[in-house]
Amino acid sequence: MTDTIERRALSRERLLSAYRMMRTIREFEERVHREFATGEIPGFVHLYAGEEASAVGVCINLDERDTIASTHRGHGHCIAKGVDLGEMMAEIYGRRTGSCHGKGGSMHIADLSKGMLGANGIVGGGPPLICGTALAAKIKGTGGVSVAFFGDGGSNQGTTLESMNLACVWNLPAIFVAENNGYAESTASTWSVAADNIADRAAGFGMPGVVVDGFDFFATCEAASEAIARARDGGGPTLIEMKFTRYYGHFEGDQQTYRADEVEQARAELDCLKRFAARVTETGELGRADLDAVDADVATMIDKAVDEAKAAPLPGEADLLTDVYVRY
Amino acid sequence: MGDAIVGVVANPQSGRDIRRLVAHASVFPTAEKASMIQRMLTALGAVGVHRVLLGTDLGGISAAVFRAVGRRRARGPDTRWPEVEFLDGQPIRQTAQDTVDAVGRMVTAGARVIVCLGGDGTARVTAAAVGDVPMLALSTGTNNVFPAVREATTAGLAAGLVAVGAVPPDRATARAKLLEVRAGGRAETALVDVAVSTERHVAARALWEPATLTQLFCAFAEPDAIGLSSILGQLSPVGRRDPHGVTARLVPGAPRQVLAAIAPGVVVPVGVSEVEPMVPGAVHEVEARAGVIAVDGERELTFEPGERPDVRLRSDGPRCVDVAAVLAASARLGLLRADDGLHYRGGST
Repeated sequence: MTDTIERRALSRERLLSAYRMMRTIREFEERVHREFATGEIPGFVHLYAGEEASAVGVCINLDERDTIASTHRGHGHCIAKGVDLGEMMAEIYGRRTGSCHGKGGSMHIADLSKGMLGANGIVGGGPPLICGTALAAKIKGTGGVSVAFFGDGGSNQGTTLESMNLACVWNLPAIFVAENNGYAESTASTWSVAADNIADRAAGFGMPGVVVDGFDFFATCEAASEAIARARDGGGPTLIEMKFTRYYGHFEGDQQTYRADEVEQARAELDCLKRFAARVTETGELGRADLDAVDADVATMIDKAVDEAKAAPLPGEADLLTDVYVRY
Repeated sequence: MGDAIVGVVANPQSGRDIRRLVAHASVFPTAEKASMIQRMLTALGAVGVHRVLLGTDLGGISAAVFRAVGRRRARGPDTRWPEVEFLDGQPIRQTAQDTVDAVGRMVTAGARVIVCLGGDGTARVTAAAVGDVPMLALSTGTNNVFPAVREATTAGLAAGLVAVGAVPPDRATARAKLLEVRAGGRAETALVDVAVSTERHVAARALWEPATLTQLFCAFAEPDAIGLSSILGQLSPVGRRDPHGVTARLVPGAPRQVLAAIAPGVVVPVGVSEVEPMVPGAVHEVEARAGVIAVDGERELTFEPGERPDVRLRSDGPRCVDVAAVLAASARLGLLRADDGLHYRGGST
């Protein structure tokens, strides 16, 4: 029990790290939102703003042994797992200096050296991947765990359900994180998810399923900490459902005619960064000056990432034949 | 004397928290909650309840009942179920406030009994909103000390017999105790227990680490309870009808250790010292300088140095329908004798 308390303890350093990650994701996404409107960014972007406490609450409990698989809404997961900000921004701008040399764009940012298996344009594409890495970790005995993030739409995909079954059959160190932001594109999860709570489906596979307030870092972190410790200890998979709202449309340009004023209410009353800041300053664990210093530092980093991305070269004709499976 | 109205509110989120992960707690499916309400409608209709007011939710419970009502109506006039009125038209926040709002509307509409389906947390929220209307708490949650684990059909019969006035109130209900916690300008109530923990944040709400607990206050502590009250239930039991409560300091290394089922699936030794009775009205100070206060097993209030929370036992808790007593009275009065037709079938009082 004492071990558990020590594991869950949030030191000043961990709290600062959590805040920095959440603030970085928020600033990154707010900036991409503004930059996308200028027309300079190619392709689609799907923004993670509002959901930061999920990626950070989970990834702050992970280390270099662990892998994650993401979704089309993947910037937050990338940042939380330590992918370089400059390379991410350059990738979104389609530049040669990007994490995939400018060939993937927002939906394919990956960095295997960081255990980030990739954003994924295929809805429900991540869960099968983490069954593979979780099996590898189990066979090699690394103690690593694998986490698949997917949305409420992804929760209805056969790939996701098959992966949950496989992970349970093989008792894999796999965590399934359903990020239920209320809409699969424009389809409400209250209509399209038959189980009402995605977490309820866990019982059918014989694994624990829990519902967590996805706006509350302390709740997401605690649930993830328990699930990850259980998986490392050979206890097997867990399904965690994070409930929250995304602050922007499904993609940039989405008119969002399917929802009304819920975003304003969430930003005002539920926002993970506001709640985190209020809480840690109330307890005295961190001071307002600590948070302001992080905010300033993050703003500088994002400016630098955007400036460097815009200045970086695009892939050239010669790059067409590199990074492909077939050697021409 | 007006219509025999029963209110029913079900918490779509009960039985979903982190205790599924850390303690193998049970899962209570939405479909079963909806089925329980349908079984209860049959019982309520059988003893003459006219109208049922049902709280609405986005979890699928009221939607399933709505479909069931529609299917029965499509088969022809249904005289067996009461008319079901869905309390829609107000925003659903997917928080405890939904229960408060629904119960408030039921009280205003003249409900004579309010049934709540959920765990201790749901019962606590309902109790704070029912006023003097008798409540009946049925378990569909995790820690189920206050709500009864009981078949909804028999609970429905008892609720119905009280609602139609067939069983005199003095035989039908008992007033529960409650605990009031004050911290800074905030206040919370608990129906079973209040625990002080050195955890700093509300986070995932449940408590399952005994080493973080410093003080425990119980309105009642039954030897066969699940949850934190079981600690004192094995050392110094206090019944629901006893006028007093019980409190203790919890100290990990204390000489007196009790093996307690502090959460479903968690049976651990807990060190206890300084067990004292709580008399109604007496103020007990929380000794810790900062931490979290859990009401009925869920972290709810945080407090910081200087706030000095306190806890007191109150005797004016909700009036609760005693299902066994109601049905025993019914047996004595022959209320459910069917040989000459049910007295209360379809009638009002």
